[in-house]
This record gives sequence, C-alpha cells and structure tokens, in this order.
Amino acid sequence: MMNIIFLILAHWLIVLTLAPLFVGVITKVKAFFAGKKGPSVFQPFFDLQRLFQKNSVYSRTTTWVFRGAPIVNLAAVLLLSLMIPLGPFKAPLQFSGDILLAVYILSLARFFMIIAALDTGSSFEGMGASREAFFSCLCELALFMNFITLSLVSHSISLSTMIGADTSLSWNLIGPALLLVAGSFFLVILAENNRIPIDDPDTHLELTMIHEVMILDHSGVDLGFMLYAAAIKLFIFAGILVPIILSIHAGNPIVDMLIFLGGMLGASMAVGIVESTMARLKLNRVKNLLLIAVAVAFFGFVVKMWKG
Amino acid sequence: MTSWVDVICIIVVFLSLVILSNSRVTAMIRVFALQSFVLGLLPFFLHISGMSGRVVMISLVTIILKAGLVPYILFWAIRHVSMRTEIKPILGFGTSIILGAIVIAGAFWVSLSLKLPGKPVSDLILPCSLSTVLLGFMIMVTRTRAVTQVLGYLILENGIFLFAISLFDEMPALIEMGVLLDIFVAVFIMAIVVNHINEEFEKNTVSVGRSKMGETF
Amino acid sequence: MERFFQLPWQVPFGEFSLKIDSLSLMFLMAIFILVFCAGVYAVGYMREYQGRRPMGLHIFFYILFSLALVFVVLANNVILFLGAWEMMSISSYFLIVFHDEKPSVRRAGFLFLVASHCGTFLLFLMFFLMAHNGGSMNFDVISHSGFSAILAGVIFLLAIIGFGVKAGFIPVHIWLPHAHPAAPSHISAVLSGVMIKMGIYGICRVLWILGVLPDWCGYVLLMIGVVSGVMGVLYALGQHELKKLLAYHSIENIGIIALGLGLGLLGESHHMPYLTVLGFGGALLHVLNHSIFKGLLFLGAGAVIQKTHTGEIDQMGGLAKRMPVISILFLIGAVSICGLPLFNGFISEFIIYFGLFKGLASLPLLGAFGCGLGIIALGLMGSLALACFAKVYGTVFLGQPRSPSAVEPWGKTSSWMIVPMLVLGALCLWIGLFPRKMASLAFLGGGYLSHTDLSSLNMGIIFIPLSFIISALILFIALMVGLFGMRRIFLKGLIPSVRETWGCGFSQSSARIQYTSSSFARLIVELVKSVLLFKREGGEVRDLFPAKIKLTSSIQDASEKFFFRPLFDRLTSLSKKLDIHSIRYTQMYLMYIFLYLIFLLVWKMK
Repeated sequence: MMNIIFLILAHWLIVLTLAPLFVGVITKVKAFFAGKKGPSVFQPFFDLQRLFQKNSVYSRTTTWVFRGAPIVNLAAVLLLSLMIPLGPFKAPLQFSGDILLAVYILSLARFFMIIAALDTGSSFEGMGASREAFFSCLCELALFMNFITLSLVSHSISLSTMIGADTSLSWNLIGPALLLVAGSFFLVILAENNRIPIDDPDTHLELTMIHEVMILDHSGVDLGFMLYAAAIKLFIFAGILVPIILSIHAGNPIVDMLIFLGGMLGASMAVGIVESTMARLKLNRVKNLLLIAVAVAFFGFVVKMWKG
Repeated sequence: MTSWVDVICIIVVFLSLVILSNSRVTAMIRVFALQSFVLGLLPFFLHISGMSGRVVMISLVTIILKAGLVPYILFWAIRHVSMRTEIKPILGFGTSIILGAIVIAGAFWVSLSLKLPGKPVSDLILPCSLSTVLLGFMIMVTRTRAVTQVLGYLILENGIFLFAISLFDEMPALIEMGVLLDIFVAVFIMAIVVNHINEEFEKNTVSVGRSKMGETF
Repeated sequence: MERFFQLPWQVPFGEFSLKIDSLSLMFLMAIFILVFCAGVYAVGYMREYQGRRPMGLHIFFYILFSLALVFVVLANNVILFLGAWEMMSISSYFLIVFHDEKPSVRRAGFLFLVASHCGTFLLFLMFFLMAHNGGSMNFDVISHSGFSAILAGVIFLLAIIGFGVKAGFIPVHIWLPHAHPAAPSHISAVLSGVMIKMGIYGICRVLWILGVLPDWCGYVLLMIGVVSGVMGVLYALGQHELKKLLAYHSIENIGIIALGLGLGLLGESHHMPYLTVLGFGGALLHVLNHSIFKGLLFLGAGAVIQKTHTGEIDQMGGLAKRMPVISILFLIGAVSICGLPLFNGFISEFIIYFGLFKGLASLPLLGAFGCGLGIIALGLMGSLALACFAKVYGTVFLGQPRSPSAVEPWGKTSSWMIVPMLVLGALCLWIGLFPRKMASLAFLGGGYLSHTDLSSLNMGIIFIPLSFIISALILFIALMVGLFGMRRIFLKGLIPSVRETWGCGFSQSSARIQYTSSSFARLIVELVKSVLLFKREGGEVRDLFPAKIKLTSSIQDASEKFFFRPLFDRLTSLSKKLDIHSIRYTQMYLMYIFLYLIFLLVWKMK
C-alpha cells in the first residue's frame, strides 16, 4: 500500500516538474533553428506562475462547464500519468485493459474541452471545437490500430506491458512492425498535442488554430490548468513512445532513469526539429496525413500478422 | 542483420503510400528519388557477406540512374508547367489512402499462397514487392496528369526491381544494365511527349473552379 | 436460474406458460425501470393536453403496451409470444400517433405498422420451422431438440431479419427515424429504450433455443454490428432535429449490442467460454445501460421541446441557464452514451472491448481479423458519438440563444418530469461507479444464453480490471475535488470580472455567427459524403457586395432512398394494377376460397 502511494507521488512529482521543461526544450530547439537565443528552458514555469497569480475574466455567456473543463482536463492527464512507467518507476495503476481507460479518460477530457469551447458562443471556439472533434476521430482510429498491433506483439492489453516496461520488446524479431507502429505513433503524438504540421502552438490567428482557439477565452487559473494539462499530455505521449524505441533495460535504477531522461530529451528535440523544418499543413491535407498514419498502423498490423 | 532488408522493404512500401497520397508533383518526384535511393542500397545489404565489385557497381548505377537522372529528366519535363499541383484524382486522396492500405493487405494475403523456390533472404520481400507493384498500378490508374502516370509506372518498375534483385543472385550484369537502359529510354521518351503535350495544352488552359463559399477552412 | 408458471388456456396449440430466467431478467429490469419512469414523466408532460385529447385512451394503450412487453419477455410458448408481440406492435402504434392531426405523424405511424408486420411475417415463418422441428410449441421442448446446420442457419437468418426490423439493424431500420420524432417524448423513450430491445431479446431467445450454430453466424452478427453502429452514428451526425438524432444513436447502440452478441457466437463456435460470456454479458449489460441513458436523453429532449415548441436544435441555445437541472441531467445522459468513464456506458463497452481483445489474441486468422475490425469500429463509433453529442449539447444548451423560441419566457418544468430523470441519472452514475452487481447479473444472463456453466470459469479476469477501474475513477473524482479546491485558493480575494466573449475586435457579433449543428458536423459529414448522400445547394458567392444567400445541406438515408422507397412504389403500382380487377368482389373471394381448398387437398394428399 505504501509502495503504491510512494509510486503515485513519485510519478506526479516527475510529471509536474518535467513536463513544462519538455515544452521549454522544444522552444529552445526551435529558437536554435531560427538563429535566436530563445527564452530559457524554465520559461513555461514562469508563465504558469504568472497565470496562477492573475485574476480571471469570464464571458457572460459561459456556464459552469467553462469553469469546470480545465479541472477535468488536468485531473484526467494526472490520472493518465499514473498508467505509464517513468524510467525505473513502474506504473502504479496497471491492469489488463488499462489502455481502454487511458483512451477514454482522454476522450472525457476532450469532450469537456469541446463543450467548454462551444460554451462561449463564439464562432472562433466553435471552429476549433469542430476541427478537434474531427481530427480526434482519425487519431483514435490510428491509436486503436497501433494498440491492436502492440497487443499482438506483447500478448497483453496492459499499457505498461505493451510498451515493454518489464521486458524488452523484441526489435530483432518484429522490427519492421514496431518501426511502423513507432512512425504512426509519432504522427499521432503530433496530432493529439497540436504540434506542427497539424496545428501551430504559437500562432494566434484564430482561423488557423485548433487547440489554441479552443482555449482562447480561458484566463488566469483556468488557462494555467489548460496549459499545464497540455504539457503533461505531450510528456505522457512521448513517455509512451520512448520505451517502445529505446527498449533497453539495465538493472540499475539510476541507469534506467538516465536512459529514460535521455530518451525524453531526444524526443523533445525530435519534436522541435520537426516543428522547425516543416510548415503547418493546409487543413484538408491534415486529414490526409492522419489517414496516412492510420494506413501505416494498418500496414504494421499486416506485417505483424505476416510474421506470425 | 537480416532485418535491414526488412526495413528497406517496409520503407519502399511506405514511400509508395506517401506518393499515393500526395498532390504536389515536385514532392512526388522527390519522394520517388528517395525511394530509388533506398532501393539502390538494397544489393549492398543483401550481399553484405559476399561483397563483390559487381554488387557495388549495380548499386551505384541504380542510384545514379533511378535516383539522379530520371528525376532530373522529370523535373525538366515539367519545367514549363505553371500549375504544379494535381487536380483531384479520380478517387479522391482520402479514399486512395484507405484503398492503398487495403491493397497492401490484399497483396500480403495473396503472398500467403505464393510459394517460391529456394529460400529468400527475407520473407518480407515478396509481399512488399507485390504491394509496390499494385500501388504503382493504382497510381497509374487513378491519376489524371501524364507526369504522375509516368511516376506510377516507375514505381511499378521499382517493385519489380525489388523482387528481381533479391531473388536472382546469379543475374548477369548485362541483363541488369539492359533493364536499366530500357527504363531510362522509356522515361526520356515520355518526358519529350509530356513536354509537347504540356506545351500544346498551355494554350487553352481551363481555370480551376472558383472556390465555393467557405470551401477553404 | 429459472422459474415457471403455467395456466390453462383454450387457444389451440397455445398454452399460458411463462418462464423467468437469467436472460429475461436483464430485459425485465430495463422494462420496469423505464416504463415506470416514463409513466411518471408523462403525468407532467401530458398535462397541457388534458381536456383537449383523449387521455384515457392513451393511458389504456400505455398499460396494454407495458403488459405486452412483460409477456413478450416471459412467454414460453410460440402462440403466447406471437400474441404478445402483436399486442405490443399495435398498442405502440396507437401510442405513437397521439398527435394524429399532423400528417407526418400519421405517415410515420403507418410506416411503423407496415415495417412491424413485415418483420412479424418472417417471425411466423421462423417459428413455424422451429415448432415443426421440435414437435411442440413450448420453447423449452423445442430447445431440447437438435437442429441440423442448414435449418439452424435458415432460422438464424429469418430471426436476424424478422427481429432486426424491430431492433433497428441497418438496412431494415427505416421506420425508426420517422417514428421516434413523431411520438410524444415519453413514448419515444420507451420505444427506444425498451421496444427495440425486444428485437434483441427475440434474437437472444432464438440463439438460446438453437444452441449450437454454424461458424458463419457469428461473423454475420459481427458485420451487422459494425455496419449498424458506424452508419448509425454517421447518420446521426448529419441530423439537426433532436429526436431524429437520438433515434439514429439508438441504431448505433443496437450495433454495439449486435457486436457483443456476434463476439459471443464466435466464442461459442470456437469453444472459448470466456469470449462467449464476455460477449453475451457485455451485450446484455449494454441493453440495460442503453435503456437507462437513452430514456434519460429522450425525457430530457421532451422537456426541452415542450418549452421551446420546436425540435430543431439550431433554434435553441443557451438553455443551460434557463433549465439548469435538466441541462445537467442531459449532460449525464450524453456522457454515458459516448461511453466515457464515470458512467455506465463505459462499463459495458469495456467488457465488449475486453472480449474483442481476447478474441484478437486467441482466435484463428479470420476470427482475429473480425475482432480487430470490431475494435476499430467500436473506437470509431466512440469518437464519432463524442463529436455528435458535443454538437448536440453545445448547440442546445450552451452558447447564446439562436432564435426567439429559445428566449421567450416559460414556466418551471414540472417536478413530475424532473424526478424520473433524476432517478435515471442516478442509476447511470451508480452502475458507472459500482458496476459489480449489474455486471454479475449480465454475466449470469450471458452464461444462461450460451448454456455455459459459470462456476467453471474464473470471472476474476474481468472483475479485477473492473475493480481497478473503480479505484482509478474514485482517485479521479478526488483529483477533481482537489483541483477545484486549488482553484478556489488561487482565486481567493480576487473577484473575476465578467465581460462579453472575446470576438477578436468584432463589435457587432450576433448569436447567428455561432456554429450551428451542421457547421460543426460538416467536416466529418463531408469526409464521407458519398456514403451519406450529402447534398449541398446554394451558398455560392456571386456578386461583389454582400447579399442574401441561401444554403441548404441535407443527408439522406441510403436504404430508404435506394431500396425501400422504390420497393414500396413498385408494390403500390402492382397492387393498383390488381385493383382494377377487384370490381367483382364476390368472384374474387370465391376464387380465394377455391385456391385454398385446392391447397388443402394437395397438402393432405401426401
């Protein structure tokens, strides 16, 4: 029992401190590509601190849904963070079928974000809500396809086992299938967390945003919760991809932690490089990109079935 | 490591899918160049144990010809074309991607019943080459512009090349060179024909339909 | 677990034999809960019609309908079953056409009656075949007789189509989207929540009687589940009339139930009892869950429609401020139907998912593909349903009022209407957080249906994950409470200011620039526009200066447009042709009697 509580607290500590740092590294990489010095890697912390101290402005049209959505969002990603292993720390919430809870808790958070956006009665947020609803359909399709392949590879339906937390995934045997799964999953990470080439997290042109425009009207504490939740979600998704790729297990907890941190650093740099070298796709090409992610995941499934 | 061959096969099929879904001709030609480059590396990885001058020669010639010269000719052919985007293919991009995935699954299913003599280096070669051939066919059939149809034909050739190069160890270099020359000449002729067609059609271009209200996001 | 009850009855071949068992228990629970809640709701809902319409007739048919439902589930004899089935169809017809001054209601009722009887005709054929094989009209006796593979297959197909008309499988669902908006809201709730489940009950009973089925039956049900589910929710996305949208969602959920039943059949034919119990149990639990949250949604829709006098969601908006309790209850229904955690929809979908993943790992190639397709389809249905209900909830309750009918003053909603909705909402939450009791009843039903002995199975494989889920959800609620407290602390001493919504500098925004339901769903609908027969007219900008432009978009039901309407038109023209010759009535009927005599002679000659 104490073990579980220790694990839960360790998970939350790691996630709450490292997630904004992850976002900071991405910003630093983008600044490097632009030839600038860029803000410090700790800037997201200062942003959050500033937001938590500010007063809020609410729209006349909004109801309790608007005020409640950031809370649901942050609680959902905090629960989700307990389901993945972080370096040497095993996931405290681990059971057969936990991927379904993970996907649907995220859907719950997404549902509340969408109706909070519609709550403002503005067509900007409506735009973002409509696009988010559409792209999440395709993302979930790709995600489920990947989970099918991973469950066949690892003979289990628990997230920790599927990403190879306890035993190394056999890259030698089913390398090609895992490569396709990793590629498709990377696209899903970019889509779910509103990164280029699907969405631009830095733009403030409402006509071109998805996630940014949904949280346009939030301010103060609510905005702080939303941004924190977005950062933690990105961290968790990267935390799922890294063990699939870096399937190395030293027995030593310190070495495992260093491997994990190194992998996360690599993931944040990869996201930063993709963001700096590509432009945001026209919105009807985003649909094609997500369909490619689905097709690649399906291809991975076919290769897995072929290999036995 | 035998799985490098697997990785190459997977990448070739993946790139064919990317070409299937793309609408910009320049991007399609570049991805094709990448695909031919990766394919050119294949003889290298197949004979990693018994390297010989012949293998290196084949690799180099393939890369120079298919990844360098052919794309250059294609770019030259479309240099006069003002609009480099493709108008919507017969099926629509989303449908082509889904259909492409189903075609890949179909190719794998058909390969289940195809038994080959001798033991190939990797068992992914047959289904992947079949998928590439079928995807090349799909591109040829569903696209409307001549350049993209040529690209479909070239991808089909890539698929056949993938199959042939890995199964026939003893293929004489002469036949190999002959095949590559054929491709080169075919593309050259097609480039000239396309050039003339484009010049002819430049005179009476049809304007792309004006977007409806709210059509762009 | 079964109990019998018998009474003498004079009808030839019939006996008044009732049986309650673990299978009928789930359906009986759904019937009792929903009939009771809808009845209480109707007291408040129908108050405005008192004195103007024959209320007594309506109440009479309602009681008859409830009795018929109970007898359909309890019947143990073919004649009793068919008699109760007919009584159910006819009394529901009278309930649906309550507003018979409207021609659309009359048409919807007639379509319902025709569809129902087409289905019942096939049921007659099917029961005749079963009784002939079993040598008796009693279900128990028939179930003990063996069926050959061909006969079992034919009976299965007849059952799928015959009961499928009532259940709402695509493509024989066409009466559903017309009947639900036409009926008064409490009747729509009972129709959607209970009556279409009677189709499912019929299929379950036939599966129980047949016992062993050929392999392909599971695949057929799986495919029906996938097609009905995905098409149902896609059609729902294109709707802008509240009750028609909810009707299409019922079709989607019937698809989920069929998916579970198909999985159970696959488990039976491959001799994997875990798959069987998970599949059938999940489907039965979803039957109960769906009747609860669909009833809640329809009752809520009725409350909204009663006040705004329109069913078009694009005329509503901002209703959450004027009807706070109903908006929260509707939100509970919406979250449940999307299968999101904390409520009961998630539990039954989790059980079906779990079974599908197990099937993916353990079934041979074709079965694994089928299960993979099922998982993909369920995931797609979930995300599409989320989009649809976000659209509905956002357009109806949130934002600003879009038309005068949402602004005009109205009285308080009667408590007779709110209390049943509270009961249903509480049940959703209870099953979502403490599912053990209902899940074990569902598994008992599933085991009974497949003649599997549950004591030999370790049900821990599903109950342990369920208990983990419960602890995770309790932690989630604790997290939300904690974060709410933190927010309180952060806002301590500060008074938030209230302004207009940020409009990016627009000073003259109106409620009309908000996203409508069709604009929200447009991206998804246009992705599949060839499937949904999406048509868009108008809306092109022609001139330089702003002028009045009209834009209409619509989707059409393909099975109705391409299959049934032409079929009915041809039948009508055919019967018109025969009509000319019926001037001589006497000769016509004498000819019928003559033909029947010949038929009897030939039949008995053998």
